Amino acid sequence: MTWLQLSSKEWRRRPLRTGLTGAGVALATAALFSLLSFQKGYQEGMRGELDRLGAHVLVVPKGCPYDAASMALHGASWPCFLKAAYLDEVRSVPGVATAAPVFMAAYYQTNGEQVVYVGVQSNILALKTAWRIQGQFPGPDGGILSGSEAARVHGWRVGDRVALPGVAQHGATVTGILDPTSGADDTFVYMHLEAAQRLFGHSNELTHILVRLSQPENMDGVVTQLRGCDAGLSMNIVPLAHVFHTIQSLVFSTRLFLGCLAAMALLVSAAGVSNSLLMAVAERTREIGILRAIGASQADIFRLVCLETLQVCAVGAGGGIVMAFFTSRIVETWVRTQLPFAPTEPLIRWEWWVAGACLAGALIVGLLAAILPAARAARIAPAEAMRTVGGRA
Amino acid sequence: MTNSSQTSPVLIAANALTKSYPRGREEVRALDGVSFNIQRGEFVAITGPSGAGKSTLLNILGCVDNPSSGTLELCGRMVHQLADRERTELRRTAIGFVFQHFGLLPTLTVAENVALPGLIAHRRGNQNVGALLKKVGLDHRHDHRPSQLSGGEMQRVAIARSLANQPLLLLADEPTGNLDTKTGAAIISLFHELNQEGLTVIVVTHNAELARAAHRQIALADGRCA
Repeated sequence: MTWLQLSSKEWRRRPLRTGLTGAGVALATAALFSLLSFQKGYQEGMRGELDRLGAHVLVVPKGCPYDAASMALHGASWPCFLKAAYLDEVRSVPGVATAAPVFMAAYYQTNGEQVVYVGVQSNILALKTAWRIQGQFPGPDGGILSGSEAARVHGWRVGDRVALPGVAQHGATVTGILDPTSGADDTFVYMHLEAAQRLFGHSNELTHILVRLSQPENMDGVVTQLRGCDAGLSMNIVPLAHVFHTIQSLVFSTRLFLGCLAAMALLVSAAGVSNSLLMAVAERTREIGILRAIGASQADIFRLVCLETLQVCAVGAGGGIVMAFFTSRIVETWVRTQLPFAPTEPLIRWEWWVAGACLAGALIVGLLAAILPAARAARIAPAEAMRTVGGRA
Repeated sequence: MTNSSQTSPVLIAANALTKSYPRGREEVRALDGVSFNIQRGEFVAITGPSGAGKSTLLNILGCVDNPSSGTLELCGRMVHQLADRERTELRRTAIGFVFQHFGLLPTLTVAENVALPGLIAHRRGNQNVGALLKKVGLDHRHDHRPSQLSGGEMQRVAIARSLANQPLLLLADEPTGNLDTKTGAAIISLFHELNQEGLTVIVVTHNAELARAAHRQIALADGRCA
């Protein structure tokens, strides 16, 4: 027999109390683990979306820049448009390396699924450097470049003549299919800008312009010039890094609040652990006295109580991490409904070191919670303990 | 049975031991100037009516309590001068305890209860557990829990546990107090057998038969040797 086995037998003696104490630790750890995993997932998701978009600045019609960024990234029908003539003004601003005009429209099919059509010119390839196309980029006469997921859903292959979902009586040839990008591009159906403008009846209009700068560190200067050009008053110039920074600040403020709640939950669970141990020590006064009488030192008793705590906390924290893992989909679905902007990538990203840190945190907090009861148990005088009537032995 | 290299025939020398407890504003004297010597290998019974100070004396002899005054020499060491850590060490290495209510841990099996002193003494393995259980006639109860045993069997387990660290001195507080006559007689016989093997045995008892089995009686009344 070892001290670990001895302590494990002790907390199994009171399964209900131990279970409740462990459940408190599990809930607090699950909250902490989910929060830390969310932070990591959200940051990386945002960074990934920005990289995949390939643009530094978004030029959109007047309105809310956050809505515009969300629509450009995830696809939507736009309520207002830019004049195509603004494109030349944007391109003429020094520091603009590429200005890619976009016309976007979204349609809902009868099954409720959304199809996003995106009209672009071939200069979009200067922004989407990670794209790999099976086939060809479509020309102004027609044809579509399908995202991998859209092609999979509709069963399209390169060269197929297909009916365009949601757009009655219109067909097109699939000239190319994108390799998976792990982003919203996978679900989009790309076509040439002119073809899209024709198809949706918005000739000489754009929904937005994606701008890539030759020197991103000169962002502020370029944005000032864009706002100062003739069309500046009719356009909204949205530096994407600033948008993401603002969104992240909002999300992280909320996260800080949630973090405080998780820390509070951990403290409450620590108080529960401490209380449970104090009760156990009080009930076992005589038993502890007998252990002391047969030679256990104060350090042995202290160690025994601490080991009991560590076991409950380890099992509770481990259970909490497993619980967080299995409930992550539900949590993520809920979190997405609460966020001003959510990347398409998973928001909760699992990392072993985060799990290890949460486990270690729970053990440290548990150990701190055990100090008072363990010290009290260690100080029990054996002679007095053996005279105790209430304690079990 | 003993692990001591001590050669002195006197194992315990108690001189003018007193023990006082505060009770409200009063002071209660549980022991009042008790003096005696106990030789190695003796079988001594401490007798007396309830409240005479028997258990208090046993606790002091077992190093679980300190005298208020007086001196106690045990195994050549002045116990009343020792720090808690040293008294713990003495309890662990030189003394075996048997309690009236057995004092077995209910969550442990018979074998684990007997192995407990070895764990506390940081001794690896449970080599002597089987032999100890055989000695007290309970080798067939190895994996039973205390709740599955009779009173006599629990007391035998407690005796086996008290012998686990090969003590010089066995202290028993009313070891037959919770047992029927027949079982009590078996326990007395076991103490006698252990004493025959060289173990010094001190029992606190009301049991006349157990007291008669001892070599000598120390009778207490009102905290003094009668």
